[in-house]
Amino acid sequence: MSKKPTVQPALHKVIMVGSGGVGKSALTLQFMYDEFVEDYEPTKADSYRKKILLDGEEVQIDILDTAGQEDYAAIRDNYFRSGEGFLCIFSITEDESFQATQEFREQILRVKNDDNIPFLLVGNKCDLEEKRKVTFQEAQDRANKWGVPYVETSAKTREHVDKVFFDLMREIRARKKDENKTNNGRGKDKNKKKKLKCTIL
Amino acid sequence: MDGPKEPTFPLLSSPDFVPEKYVRDISQNYVGGLELQLLKKKIQTLSDETNNNLKRNVYQNYVQFIEAAKEISHLEGEMYQLSHLLSEQRSLLTSLMNSSILEDQTHIKVHKHEKMDEQDVEEENKLKLATILEKVEGCKDIVEVEGRTFIHEGDLLEIDATENMALKFVHVYLFSDSLMITNRNSNPRSLTRFTYESIYELSSLAVVNVRDMGNIKHAFKLLIFPDTRVFQCSSNASKKEWLDKIDQAKKSKLASEQPKRESLLVEKTSPARMTFIESSHEEEPVIKIIINHPEWFLDIPDELDVCIAQRQFEEAVNYLNKAQMYINKTTDHQQIDMALTEIREKVEQKRNSLIEMLMKELEVNPEKSLQGGLRATRTAVRLLNQLGRSTQACDLFLKLCSNILKLQCKRVKREGSTTIYVRHLSSVVFTNMCSMSDEFLRAFPDSTDCASAYVVWASGELSLFTTHFAKQVFMPQTSLSTITECVELVRIQCEKLYSYGIDFRYQLDGTLRASLNKALSDAKDKLIDSIKLRVSEDKWIPINLKTKSALARCLQEYAQMGLKLDIYVTGDVWLQLTPSNLAFTKAFLILLEDCLKLKTTELLYTIDDTLCKVFEAQIRCYEHALRNESQHEQRQFIVKNIEFLLMVLYEFAQKKYRENSGYECEQLNKTATEFLGLLKGRGTKTKYSSEFL
Repeated sequence: MSKKPTVQPALHKVIMVGSGGVGKSALTLQFMYDEFVEDYEPTKADSYRKKILLDGEEVQIDILDTAGQEDYAAIRDNYFRSGEGFLCIFSITEDESFQATQEFREQILRVKNDDNIPFLLVGNKCDLEEKRKVTFQEAQDRANKWGVPYVETSAKTREHVDKVFFDLMREIRARKKDENKTNNGRGKDKNKKKKLKCTIL
Repeated sequence: MDGPKEPTFPLLSSPDFVPEKYVRDISQNYVGGLELQLLKKKIQTLSDETNNNLKRNVYQNYVQFIEAAKEISHLEGEMYQLSHLLSEQRSLLTSLMNSSILEDQTHIKVHKHEKMDEQDVEEENKLKLATILEKVEGCKDIVEVEGRTFIHEGDLLEIDATENMALKFVHVYLFSDSLMITNRNSNPRSLTRFTYESIYELSSLAVVNVRDMGNIKHAFKLLIFPDTRVFQCSSNASKKEWLDKIDQAKKSKLASEQPKRESLLVEKTSPARMTFIESSHEEEPVIKIIINHPEWFLDIPDELDVCIAQRQFEEAVNYLNKAQMYINKTTDHQQIDMALTEIREKVEQKRNSLIEMLMKELEVNPEKSLQGGLRATRTAVRLLNQLGRSTQACDLFLKLCSNILKLQCKRVKREGSTTIYVRHLSSVVFTNMCSMSDEFLRAFPDSTDCASAYVVWASGELSLFTTHFAKQVFMPQTSLSTITECVELVRIQCEKLYSYGIDFRYQLDGTLRASLNKALSDAKDKLIDSIKLRVSEDKWIPINLKTKSALARCLQEYAQMGLKLDIYVTGDVWLQLTPSNLAFTKAFLILLEDCLKLKTTELLYTIDDTLCKVFEAQIRCYEHALRNESQHEQRQFIVKNIEFLLMVLYEFAQKKYRENSGYECEQLNKTATEFLGLLKGRGTKTKYSSEFL
């Protein structure tokens, strides 16, 4: 699959997952429009697109802000399938939301069928230190177990908001480059051993 | 004063005021024009005043009227809104009721009057569906699904998800459980306005609101793996309506499914209760049986959909088998209920679509690359076998094989000599056939039907190949040696198939026989012509090879063919044979070699005939020469050459023939014996001549 960097900047598809009310939309809106929305209204599913500079290269980010509450598993799977990288968000003030990340992680791995999918564990609302229920170490341990980075953010103070999106996009970009390389490698192999054709279904 | 009163408002407006009497009074009391004029003035001002008053009154009324009108229109708007809200509420309620009633008839008790209402709604829905049926081409199967009610429709603009370009206008229908996309009918003469494109189940359709960005406004997205489709609405309100309605439909669908799931939970947690339910049914056979199927079974149609869409065919087959087993088991116990029948139908449907998909996988398609070769078909073939469609799979598989073979053959370029081409081509054909046999045996290991189909196919392919081969090889300018070489190559390649139990030698030889016969007789004619020519040019003197090395080379050449000519050497550079004889010997030996290589029982007659005729032609020419030759020395020399032919060459040829086939060529023997008389003559003549010498 050849990209056309000259025609359209590369498009990285990011998906926000996490329980309801942990601040997925708040993070997204902060990143997109530099604004913090105080009042809470459950999201159904919103998608955003924006052109940004990632290490000097112009890219497009497509953010899918999913509904924390979705009743149909098949629909949830369809969300996850469309993503190239995931921000798995919980609120450090709510242990339940942290426990839920385990399930989200499992669902994503099952749907994407890929253990190395770009993925960040994000603990939001870190400005509310006094109400903290999930310790940094606890979250860090889980992230280590999964082999993913853990970042704490605050949609309110904008702390680390850009960092999580940019880190994830870098991972996605690296991942795509890798894939291209292995694809090319396979292509060479194909020429060498004509009889041993690989099947790409 | 009792005279007439001053004209005032109360006076003039009093009920018993009579203008004639008043005027009469005035004319009696007032004398002189001046007084009258004053009075007139007074009345005039009075009239003006009244006029003004009237005007003011009218204006005031008018303002009031306008206010009232405004109020009324406002009220009307509110009433309209109210009625709209009410009707919306009503449709929501009925859709809720409809879906729940049709899907879980046993769970909700329906009152009579509600039933009436429901009937009305159903009637309405039917009408609406009928109009959709009229408008949209090819949606018959979709609209006529039980329990599907119409909710919303509208025109949307589809947009390319990545490029943000407008793609096409679509007309979208929202049903209680699905979303149907239709295209504008491109055929202007068609009766229908739209053509059916696709339908998505709401229970697996991810709907995403797209935030306005750049020129994309009022859009929403559908995520249906692996597609992402973006639709643009005409306004934000319209988008909101779509999103809300879809959401509502989803919620009511979920609500109708909830009881089902709850009952499942019950089943899981308390088996005792389930037995209770069942036993109660036995007591009341009028009520339909409810069996609580395990959740995985109810989910199977959806799972199948997902698997098929994701091309996880293997998993899909697993699900199918699982479902089938479950259905069989339950049917054995005579427990058939609505849900089971429904799911059985759905599963059957999915099975068919899966088979269709798999067949499509195997179908030969000019756009599809054959890059994967036959290995790529393994999964599909195996799964089709599992689904009991071996015959079709076999058919498609063989078609694919034919196609691959054709393609591979096309790649072999006709360059260089015929032999190289044939070597390359036959190798490609037979190697491929071998690997196809391998694949075939692997794919259809135990099916005799398929095996015979394969043999028929292989035979067909071979005929194709031989036809092509004949066209390339059997041309007038091709020498017999080349033909022989090519035929031999193909025969060797053909033997490769032996290990698969397929022997096509007979068929190959059979199809080539006619051409070979002709080639042999052509070669014979050509040789006889050249014999005549050479003999006529012969001067009947020994060959002078000029140098020793040339002689040695000549001798070695023949020695390589197995013939020792050393005894015919005289002096350093002389060979006691005629040039025509030497040339003939070489040509004859090559012919013999070719013939022996080509030999099959069927060709035996032609081969013997060819050999003998050629041999005979040479001797006859010599006999003729002998008869015509008057010079003694030349005669002797000719006889010596005939002797060489009849003794040395003949023996050598017979030896070769025997080595090849185990017996001597009788016909050749006959021919040679016929001419032995010449040598007897020679014997006497030798004596005679030696006496002479």
